[in-house]
Amino acid sequence: MRWCLAFLLCCFLAAVNALSSSGSRLLVVLDDSTEKSSFSTLWSDLEGRGYDVSFESPKSDKLSLFEHGERAYDHLLILPPKSKGLGPNLTPKHILDFLNKDGNILLALSGKSATSSAISSLLLEADIHLSNDRSAVVIDHFNYDTVSAAEKHDVLLLQRPASLRPDVKAFFDGEGVLALPRVAPQTLGSDSPLIAPVLRAPNTAYAYNPKEEVPAAEDIEATGSQLNIVSAMQARNSARFTVLGSVEALEDKWFSASVKAPGGKKTTTVNREFAKQLTAWTFKETGVLKVGEIKHHLATDGEVALHDLNPKIYRIKNETFFSIEMSEYSYDKWVPFELPAEDELQLEFTMLSPFHRLNLEPTSRTETSTVYSTKFVTPDQHGIFSFRVNYKRPFLTNVEEKHEVTVRHFAHDEYPRSWAISGGWVWIAGLWSVIGGFLAFVVVWLYSAPVADKTKKTQ
Amino acid sequence: MAESSLDVLLKGSSGRNTRGLLRIIILLTIAAAAVSSRLFSVIRFESIIHEFDPWFNFRATKYLVQNGFYSFWDWFDDRTWHPLGRVTGGTLYPGLMVTSGIIYHILRFLTIPVDIRNICVLLAPGFSGLTALAMYFLTCEMSSSPSAGLLAAAFMGITPGYISRSVAGSYDNEAIAIFLLVFTFFLWIKAVKNGSIMWGALTALFYGYMVSAWGGYVFITNLIPLHVFVLICMGRYSTRLYISYTTWYALGTLGSMQIPFVGFLPIRNSDHMSALGIFGLIQLVAFAEFVRGYLPGKQFQKLLTSMVFLVFGLGFAGLILLSVSGVIAPWSGRFYSLWDTGYAKIHIPIIASVSEHQPTAWPAFFFDLNFLIWLFPAGVFICFQKLKDEHVFVIIYAVLSSYFAGVMVRLMLTLTPIVCVAAALALSAILDNFLVLSKPDPEAVAKASSDDSKSFRSSRNAVVGIYSYFSKTVVTCSMSLYLLLFVAHCTWVTSNAYSSPSVVLASKMPDGSQFIIDDYREAYYWLRQNTPDNAKIMSWWDYGYQIGGMADRPTLVDNNTWNNTHIATVGKAMSSREEVSYPILRQHDVDYVLVVFGGLLGYSGDDLNKFLWMVRIAEGIWPDEVNERDYFTSRGEYRVDEEATPTMKNSLMYKMSYYNYNSLFPAGQAVDRVRGVKLPAESPQLNTLEEAFTSENWIIRIYKVKDLDNLGRDHNNAVAFDKGLKRKRATKKKGPRVLRTE
Repeated sequence: MRWCLAFLLCCFLAAVNALSSSGSRLLVVLDDSTEKSSFSTLWSDLEGRGYDVSFESPKSDKLSLFEHGERAYDHLLILPPKSKGLGPNLTPKHILDFLNKDGNILLALSGKSATSSAISSLLLEADIHLSNDRSAVVIDHFNYDTVSAAEKHDVLLLQRPASLRPDVKAFFDGEGVLALPRVAPQTLGSDSPLIAPVLRAPNTAYAYNPKEEVPAAEDIEATGSQLNIVSAMQARNSARFTVLGSVEALEDKWFSASVKAPGGKKTTTVNREFAKQLTAWTFKETGVLKVGEIKHHLATDGEVALHDLNPKIYRIKNETFFSIEMSEYSYDKWVPFELPAEDELQLEFTMLSPFHRLNLEPTSRTETSTVYSTKFVTPDQHGIFSFRVNYKRPFLTNVEEKHEVTVRHFAHDEYPRSWAISGGWVWIAGLWSVIGGFLAFVVVWLYSAPVADKTKKTQ
Repeated sequence: MAESSLDVLLKGSSGRNTRGLLRIIILLTIAAAAVSSRLFSVIRFESIIHEFDPWFNFRATKYLVQNGFYSFWDWFDDRTWHPLGRVTGGTLYPGLMVTSGIIYHILRFLTIPVDIRNICVLLAPGFSGLTALAMYFLTCEMSSSPSAGLLAAAFMGITPGYISRSVAGSYDNEAIAIFLLVFTFFLWIKAVKNGSIMWGALTALFYGYMVSAWGGYVFITNLIPLHVFVLICMGRYSTRLYISYTTWYALGTLGSMQIPFVGFLPIRNSDHMSALGIFGLIQLVAFAEFVRGYLPGKQFQKLLTSMVFLVFGLGFAGLILLSVSGVIAPWSGRFYSLWDTGYAKIHIPIIASVSEHQPTAWPAFFFDLNFLIWLFPAGVFICFQKLKDEHVFVIIYAVLSSYFAGVMVRLMLTLTPIVCVAAALALSAILDNFLVLSKPDPEAVAKASSDDSKSFRSSRNAVVGIYSYFSKTVVTCSMSLYLLLFVAHCTWVTSNAYSSPSVVLASKMPDGSQFIIDDYREAYYWLRQNTPDNAKIMSWWDYGYQIGGMADRPTLVDNNTWNNTHIATVGKAMSSREEVSYPILRQHDVDYVLVVFGGLLGYSGDDLNKFLWMVRIAEGIWPDEVNERDYFTSRGEYRVDEEATPTMKNSLMYKMSYYNYNSLFPAGQAVDRVRGVKLPAESPQLNTLEEAFTSENWIIRIYKVKDLDNLGRDHNNAVAFDKGLKRKRATKKKGPRVLRTE
């Protein structure tokens, strides 16, 4: 019995080790099985990384993202359907519900045919916009593959993207050239902080509907790097939604095609590597943060007793210590989380607005985590404060920690005593001199009673 | 034989004993009547804490009993005024809680296990018995008549003016404060009469207790100096007065400063300056008296007048200087509203919004005091006739408190004791004259008439009196009738008007049976059982104490209206559009919003009827963003129906009140029974809140504040998407395209 359990545990451990941080059930939605075979390397790569891949046709009646109100799959990969729309079981509402329940989605588009309006309206909810007629393709006359698209210039050859900003980690970088045939471009809304471009078109690119003759000047919505080839959205619950403009880039034939840029050498594409990076990020194998133990207590020199840890109440002007343990998931294991070069992890001590905003410094490191900590003095204001760590960066899951504590006023016996305040000595002296004076007066009064007149008595 | 044995009991020293025993029995009976007439509410409903403030007092008492005195003293309450918290231990009058805490511990010591709630519920009736007793002592000091004290005690025991604040369950500061008020005045009169340090010190002791129990102690702080001042002005200065006043002031002030909430107010606040000023004045007067003993009259006159002018001038200049420089705090707003009833309405809407701060309607005097109100002037007149020191006190008290009672409804409470004293004086004078059966000695009459020729005509009939049995019977009977009517009236008022807990409402079914509306407790218990322990509830401040007491959840604002800005913030959130309110709700961590809606039942005390106060209070802080005018139609009407202004219809309060309300009615026939209007056919739409709970009669509606949208959309769009509306692509934007930069 015992070894049976141990065996089961080992199985679970193995299963957990080889997998994404959020489950292994992957549903691929694609039209028919003939299409399936052209992506066979992708499927075998995914299965090799431990995913249970199941395939469904969008038209199938069995297709359902939910079972008994819970998610039936952890991840969803949608290939562009041939027919119009994704059918009644994959309406935008279903897909958003899937996202809201922490499911991750990789949506592939294709420039070959017009994208369905259902998908367009779904993307619109995430503030990702497709071109007006939904059938534009990205063209670049400088970065195209001379082998396969010498005429049409619609197979882009690009480097893998470096990090978006200096303070953001790079998850998709590396050597080599990507080939992206017939990309359906996306543009991102300007104000949503949840979306981020993964791969942007080069400055010389533009979008164009090949079925039309000449694009009208006023129809052009975006050009150059405003066009996205791959864009990503991470919802507030950290569910990930990636839009890939070119489904063909995932096909077997592009995984190891040899391509040649104008004026360049002939090279093999690194599409397979990029596909791995993209699916790994989308399905939460990378860029996942975990908050471990959070400790706060009064700053003391020695070890803190267990009952003094994370107290519910502090006093004003207490020196306080705060630490947070952070890990990052990297493909198959938790590793210590390291901040990007120009970034800081910050602690806020907030009541209505932050009273303190402090950088947390890494103080110690374990095998799987880094401990960040800081010390500060609680402000001279009582109220209900909260320790907040609000770390939200593109491509990293959101960290939003909020721990409420009460900061109370001085109790009646916590003020300095009167004799400890030098300014009070005047008053204390006054007090005692009055008391002493009164006592002296009483003594003098009592002992200076008039002497009884003896002469009268004798008379 | 029987007659002679009765004589043994009624005459001589044993007669005194008998009367004393009778007196004790009568007083005990009065106390019992006072207690039992306050139990209507327990019998009608149940042993429950009433209204609003008592719920806080109850909660504080529980805290005191559970955590001990010192942690109560240093109590920082993190479950009210979120997120500011309240230094509760330093901002309350602890007398009430400490009193019931002591009673609780004594009973525990005597191994009588009583629930603290029952102590709290029955504290007010218990103390009303003591008040009757204190009243007896006070009135006995005023009159030599044996009946005056007993009558006053009986009046005090059952007069509705006092019962209104002391029925069982009305666990408020006034419950013990009126007893302390009366007893302090009794001790003061005693001190003035005897010129004794002991009585003065006792006065100070009870004054300190009073300070710890009720903010109304300021009344004593001003009345006693005024009494002294008037006596000095009347030329009645005496060492008795000097001893009693200085003892009281020195000890009483020190005592009152021990209460953290009062602290240094007695020497820094204008409300307390008269006591300090009189303290100085009486020293000068005493000094003048001393000097007079050594100086010839003429010089003394000069000295006195010059000194009076000098001191008065200096004192007045000093007072003005200190007030202007801010050392002495200016008069508090509540104080100003005592002189100018319109002041609060303009300057401090939060004070004016409380119904008990409104001026009194004249029928209320008769309602609360019945026939005492017309005996009252007669009693004051009798005081003028005797005009000893203590009668001066009654007159001053009567004048001041009648004015105050006219200004504020709740000050009827301070008027009641003096009305009882004065009425008892008047009635006892009547009864003493009309109840005595004996006739004057015929010889004396004859003697008086035989002296006719020698004296003036006016003094000829020396024996004046009422000797006719007829007039005696008529007057006595009519007085008895009035007394009986008074008892009937008091009982009726108590049982019908003042015994409702207001937490539980009672109404009559068509067949006459009682129907209990228990929506408040239903909703509060829903909160208690269905929300996390630290879910923040936002409601208008009226319900703060009840939510804290019954639902045990943190609130944003409550009936301790110490922070006007915070209340205005809540008012702004209630009266603004959702787009404005939502960030406020988020910033204050609000999880649930609670509104009171009486439209279905016709319950007029609901939030929509208080709504204009929310608007006004919010406007006081944000005049640019909230404007009262926007809530009235162009014809100046406050409407909630189809013709309501857009601002009104978009306000959070309106939406929360009427959300889904029309689903109760056939299409297009929704009716608001409080305001008596037909409502728009369509329910208002709520985007940022979702309905969480609505009580049985729709009196309480609770809404949950939605989290931010998962996809970063605003709630309008998210709700529209959930309803299946397609989103329009914003293609045709004016101006240049905004490029996205990373």
